[in-house]
Amino acid sequence: MNIDIAFGTLFTLLTDPYLIFLMLIAVPLGAFFGAMPGLGGKLGVVLLIPFVFGMEPIAGAVLLLSMHAVVHTGGSIPSILFGIPGDGTSTAVVLDGYEMTRNGEGGRALGASFGASGIGGVLGAVFLGLLLPVLRPIVLAFSPAEFFLLAILGITFIATLSGKNVVKGLVLGLLGLMVAFVGLDPSTGGPRYTFGHLFLWDGIDIITAVLAMYAIPEMIALGSGQGVVDYSDSANKKYKISEVWDGIIDVFRHWGLSLRTSLVGAVIGLIPGLGGDAASWICYGHAVQSSKTPERFGKGAVEGVIAPETANNSKEGGALLPTLFFAVPGSSGMALLLGAFLMLGIQPGPTIVTENIDLVWMLIWALAVSNVLCVVILLGLTPWLGSLANVRPPLLIPFVLVFALLGSYLSSAAWENLILIFFLGCLGYMCRRHSWPRPPFVIGVVLGPVAEDSLHKALALWGPSFFLRPISLILIAMIIGSIAFYIWRTRRESVEVPGNA
Amino acid sequence: MLKRMLAVAVGVLFLAGCQDNSGVAGGAGSAADENYFSGRTITYIIATDPGGGYDAYGRMIARYMQEHLPGARIIIRNVPGAGHIVGANTIYASRPDGLTIGMFNTGLIYNQLLGLDGVQFDLTRMSWVGKASNEIRVMLVATNSPYKSFEDMLAADEPVKFAASGVGSAAYLDTRILDTVYPEFDIETISGFAGAEGELSMMRGELVAQVGIDSSYHQFVANGNGYFALTMSQLAAELYPDVPVAQDYATTEDGRELLSILEALSDLGRLTAGPPDIPTDILAVLREAHSNALNDPDLLAEAMQIHVPITEGSGEYVEQRIIEALDQPPEIISLLEQAATSH
Repeated sequence: MNIDIAFGTLFTLLTDPYLIFLMLIAVPLGAFFGAMPGLGGKLGVVLLIPFVFGMEPIAGAVLLLSMHAVVHTGGSIPSILFGIPGDGTSTAVVLDGYEMTRNGEGGRALGASFGASGIGGVLGAVFLGLLLPVLRPIVLAFSPAEFFLLAILGITFIATLSGKNVVKGLVLGLLGLMVAFVGLDPSTGGPRYTFGHLFLWDGIDIITAVLAMYAIPEMIALGSGQGVVDYSDSANKKYKISEVWDGIIDVFRHWGLSLRTSLVGAVIGLIPGLGGDAASWICYGHAVQSSKTPERFGKGAVEGVIAPETANNSKEGGALLPTLFFAVPGSSGMALLLGAFLMLGIQPGPTIVTENIDLVWMLIWALAVSNVLCVVILLGLTPWLGSLANVRPPLLIPFVLVFALLGSYLSSAAWENLILIFFLGCLGYMCRRHSWPRPPFVIGVVLGPVAEDSLHKALALWGPSFFLRPISLILIAMIIGSIAFYIWRTRRESVEVPGNA
Repeated sequence: MLKRMLAVAVGVLFLAGCQDNSGVAGGAGSAADENYFSGRTITYIIATDPGGGYDAYGRMIARYMQEHLPGARIIIRNVPGAGHIVGANTIYASRPDGLTIGMFNTGLIYNQLLGLDGVQFDLTRMSWVGKASNEIRVMLVATNSPYKSFEDMLAADEPVKFAASGVGSAAYLDTRILDTVYPEFDIETISGFAGAEGELSMMRGELVAQVGIDSSYHQFVANGNGYFALTMSQLAAELYPDVPVAQDYATTEDGRELLSILEALSDLGRLTAGPPDIPTDILAVLREAHSNALNDPDLLAEAMQIHVPITEGSGEYVEQRIIEALDQPPEIISLLEQAATSH
């Protein structure tokens, strides 16, 4: 690695007023598109592409990448404040982020989310730089066999996420897996549980599922007076910067977790095919499992915000690598950027390391710098964002419901989602009312399709012997370890607290 | 005074409303002139999410058609779902006033031929506006595979693993058709590999080949990861003079018939269509705008830059080719059905 080039490009990026100007335009745009439920960052990039036509390759690429890099940072805002995820990858942060807002810790949640996004984005970019020399073997080491086992590992987190009600958690987790089977069978192409409706061919939309399990029940509860937010003394309160700062410090207080989930996110981003939704949920599960006090999760634990948010942003760093070096996009957003890079005259492929290494470093730094920039801009806005969360329930409920329905409709442009959200919303409310754990359901919906599809592929490619591949064996050991750890901890707790079996 | 003004305003609004309605409903009679689209908004439906090839073509064509339809505005609406079927159904069911047109995968020809679930359209009845590209079907083979030519593959003793996207998709059927056409060639089709995933799998050495459209493999071939072993269209002879053509290896008449479907699909790329029964004069204006847009030097320059190849074709031509492709004898349909249900 040539240190001169690596840091020379950073210097160029930071001292070129034109590039800084472009990033100052791109970052707020990206955050805005990410934050608007239903719009989504991908649409933002599509709309921006015609404007970069004819720009210098570096300038155009920096503009688009900066915008794309911060989409998930913005996406967490509605998740935390209203329980409405801006896109699929921001679904996991709803669990604890929104709960923190209800506990009056919205400022801290936003701070933690922005801090984690920034750290994740920067670490993702650093990781990208370090991996440059050994990229090819790493990307090619992961195949459907490993995807299947990663998804199974994620599914084992259901046990930890169920809290005290393991049986209830398993029931809802299995229900989630069954919901994941709705759609076209990946191996036969036949429709399953679609009841003659075309919109069900593509499966149950994950954003709709999360809105129905969280936003809708919370609003019903709030409307019927079960909400716990005390509005009397916070009616006109703005978040103090000290609270937000506390959230940022949280990211460093849990530095081990931040580091691990950044790495996991970047690796998952690096491997095309697993998907960003899976990344943030697997990291959320990991945070719960590695915590000494897993019972706090789902009730407003700050680690539950940090883990998915670092993963969201670091995975974009990972996803840039295969896009640039193999011309194989690591995510759907990167597929768009790939098209735009070609248009700008950038030729992705293995030769880019030898012929255009300046550009590669420039893009790596653009990822890192735009993430930092976004955090700074959003921190400036936080006091005003925070006051949104203190709107009185009679004003808040219709507003949230409208955005929830809008987000559900726009996420797959299907009006039928509105019927779906009604039925799933009833289920969600019953779960909330009778204390059934909701995260297992969502884990099932998110990871079920990944597990099924990759199991089919792995079996078609290798037959049952795919379990014996080297990385497969490591993952199987992790799955067994995860289950064993859970059992050990449950037994220890029941010994420590007699009578609480 | 105020009342009178209100009355006039209401009257004007009412008249404006009537005029608009009569323009649409009257269709063929009153709207014959080129100004029909002036002041109107056309919705261009793209049957996929934003991003991806169809979106890129659709947005570009819509933008340039707008320039060649003075006074008209064209807005984009993405109607994804069920592998382009929802988008095609939506276009088919829209009002035939020329204000709704759009683009979907030509592979839906298969869905109609096989009478698959979900089809609520009849492609032979749609109002075809034009085509934007050739989609030459090719067989892409991994450079790291033991097969250095199509003849190597024909001589293989064991099944050759091919990647394809979902079962029932156009790419899947394309692959199964090849398996049917060459009895001595055993293709094992492994589904669920959309786009980049199939290419990565070939790089990992798990899968040997896939069937798809030449332009989408541009980077993969340029990077030395794969080569074209076979093309399914005579159209490719000029572009790829060294690549053998599928028809030359077909030994039966049925095989040649099946390949002619692939040939037709190769010729019909990125089509723009409207619902049935758009009045001929309105359709003529749309067709002219489409043709002018695709011959616009600015569009051609832009397309060159983003690597989307353009081969313009008229709506009349597309209509004729579609009718031919869908007119298949029962024995070919039953062969297709066999191909669709095999692995």
